[in-house]
Amino acid sequence: MKTGIFSLSLLALASTAIISCSDNEETTNVDTNAQLFSEVLTDLTTDVITSTYNELNTKAMALETAVNTLEASPNATNLAAVKAAWSATRAPWEQSEGFLYGPVDSGGIDPSMDTWPVNVSAMNAILNSNTAITPALIAENPEARGFHLIEFLVWGEDGNKTADELTARELEYLQAAAADLQNNTQILYDGWKVSGGNFGANFINAGNGSNLYPSQKAALQEIIEGLITIADEVGNGKIEGPLNSEGGTPDASLEESRFSNNSKTDFANNIRSIQNIYMGDFNGTSASGLTDIISGSNPTLDAQVKEKITAAISAIENIPGTFSDAIHNNRAAVGNAQAKVAELHTLLQGTVKAYVAGL
Amino acid sequence: MLQRIVFLLILSSLASCASDDASDYTEVIDLNERLYAGGETTTFSVTSNAYRTPAPNLSAADLSIHLMGDVDFESVFVTSPSTINQGLGPVFNNSSCISCHIRDGRAGFPTDINARSGLLLRTSLFGTDENGGPLPVPGFGLQVQNQAIFGYSPEANYGVNFSEITEVLADGTVVILKKPQFSLVNAYAAMPSGMLLSPRIGPPVFGLGLLEAMQEADILALQDITDANGDGISGKANYVWDPELGQTVIGRFGWKANTGTIRQQCAAAYVEDMGITNLLFQNETGHDQSNGQDGLTDDPELTHEILDQIVLYCRTLAVPAPRNIDNLQVREGAVIFDQLECAKCHMPRQQTGYSPISAISNQVFYPYTDMLLHDMGEGLADNRPDFLASGREWKTRPLWGIGLTQLVNGHTDFLHDGRARNLTEAILWHGGEGENAKNKFKALTKAKRDALLAFLNSL
Repeated sequence: MKTGIFSLSLLALASTAIISCSDNEETTNVDTNAQLFSEVLTDLTTDVITSTYNELNTKAMALETAVNTLEASPNATNLAAVKAAWSATRAPWEQSEGFLYGPVDSGGIDPSMDTWPVNVSAMNAILNSNTAITPALIAENPEARGFHLIEFLVWGEDGNKTADELTARELEYLQAAAADLQNNTQILYDGWKVSGGNFGANFINAGNGSNLYPSQKAALQEIIEGLITIADEVGNGKIEGPLNSEGGTPDASLEESRFSNNSKTDFANNIRSIQNIYMGDFNGTSASGLTDIISGSNPTLDAQVKEKITAAISAIENIPGTFSDAIHNNRAAVGNAQAKVAELHTLLQGTVKAYVAGL
Repeated sequence: MLQRIVFLLILSSLASCASDDASDYTEVIDLNERLYAGGETTTFSVTSNAYRTPAPNLSAADLSIHLMGDVDFESVFVTSPSTINQGLGPVFNNSSCISCHIRDGRAGFPTDINARSGLLLRTSLFGTDENGGPLPVPGFGLQVQNQAIFGYSPEANYGVNFSEITEVLADGTVVILKKPQFSLVNAYAAMPSGMLLSPRIGPPVFGLGLLEAMQEADILALQDITDANGDGISGKANYVWDPELGQTVIGRFGWKANTGTIRQQCAAAYVEDMGITNLLFQNETGHDQSNGQDGLTDDPELTHEILDQIVLYCRTLAVPAPRNIDNLQVREGAVIFDQLECAKCHMPRQQTGYSPISAISNQVFYPYTDMLLHDMGEGLADNRPDFLASGREWKTRPLWGIGLTQLVNGHTDFLHDGRARNLTEAILWHGGEGENAKNKFKALTKAKRDALLAFLNSL
């Protein structure tokens, strides 16, 4: 088990000492890509990830306000405003699912905000009780909270709820659930922002004092794996589940945002999450992204990635009608979207990850 | 295969370049042979996904079941009736596998003791049941569920108080350890006197299939129950009742090795932790309690297929490879690990026998455990016997992957209840058979402590 280091080096010399040592001398401490990697890691952290969470938090506040207005005057206009505010909050959340690491995970925020399925039995039990519905009560019943519970209350199980049908208890629940959601988006944003938990520093300082990433490439691998994970989830989970449950039967009850018929938008925004990280863009700000690392040395691969991202988004958006309907009546279109997402997944997993690791 | 060769070449080449500066070092351990920590199930991921990747050598058929198990592991259960994932509770500790084994890793010490977390309390009365196991507490069973579906009472809330213990190292460094004392409050029914409590925290779930496929004789060969060699260390295997097999088997899993198989561990976790009845446990955990019966005839709530998938999943997660094994500080730390006799219990190398899952069959791997129970002293004692494990005995934890805890789980809370806030504290909690090792650690210079920690963090 123990050997002198001398015999180890002999072993190594016998294999590849020549290549490695010349390599080692050339690159003593300077990676020619260090500056570029640093720019990309900084921009992605600041201009994409933290900005997405900031947007999510801002929209969650607007949703809370809209819900309070609806509670004060439950009418069709205010209900429509809540629906719009929910969708507006949902967009940055889905666009954040390409980076489900850090506080969203270690802080248990994802299950608190996006728990699925909705615990309808628990929700009904709470509605039918005499207990005051507060964010604290909801936090004690974590499966009856979050985006999909709000969606269920606002749209109704069949998607056609009217303002007249909202009971006082449901409005009370909505207020608590919107406040609870915003509590969590706040924690998430605070966890990343510089004046808060500053989780992004782990990426910005990768290879240079970062607690988590001993090299910039390790941080880039994390970022790329985040993209691979969401591409896999959309194709093999979110689409495959409802399209082919139990070996080929469509089942809309397995669909992510079926009450609001927002699933197609959800999936497209998940792919936009990949796009934002790849391009370094968010909400009109164009910064450095993975493309800046790849395009210089491999424009073909760069073009391929961009093309696959666009193709996946278009294929999802071009599914006719609602997703619930399409899994029955336009299965080919859904299958096509799934195939485009799979192509993107394969390219990221099979080529992009290794390419960046090898730079 | 090609990938492996390339990787080894890179590593050995790095080591070779460093060797000029290091030729003065007397002796360091060649860690190259430990690179494949999980044998052919090893992953080289250094991201937060390091604990949750499938073993790279799975057959296509096993991989397909593994991926279904991956979905099952993340499934959130809800109150019955529901068209999806029904059956949560009525009393439970958490609502999905992943919520206690976050990213297939380790739960941290909870910030709010009664919020959902990866910490739970086991309980029993003094004595043993008919199979030699802990004696269930009437009205509470063997585990206190501190959560309940709306309208039901949890068995009790948890309480915790901390006392401080000061350790002074040889160089004057002071470390203040925090010792949690757990209690039950607001119990739904009168608590019998003499309830024993033992905290447990959700550990990582990768590599379990390898530990399960170790041959029993190999584990028994490591025992030294009477300390015949006089080294102060007397490892002992646990033997536990397996209700599905209807016989006593060697204990391998759980903090006290009180469970023989992954299947038993998973099935028990479904029913006890989540309130999900299954093939092995067809009654709700609290079925004979006023707060524990859901009044439905839907048992088992989990399909046999899902149980099979989850078991295969837990058997076939890849083991993360060590990192920086060419680094001299790391290699010096490996020598210190030996010198302190850590390796006597945290035994680096093990091997599997035959397994019907080809990926884990006949593998040499590096878990850093002997799979045996050891007296860990009064400080760690839970004073709650579990089959052959006394109130002071715990199973040697594997150390593989431990250096990735911060990356994967965002904390470094270790030990059975998460009390240690970092590796130094975890080492300082060692007592009993680990007392000598701890004292030798305390006597180290800072440079040597740092080297040991660098080695542990390379795992």
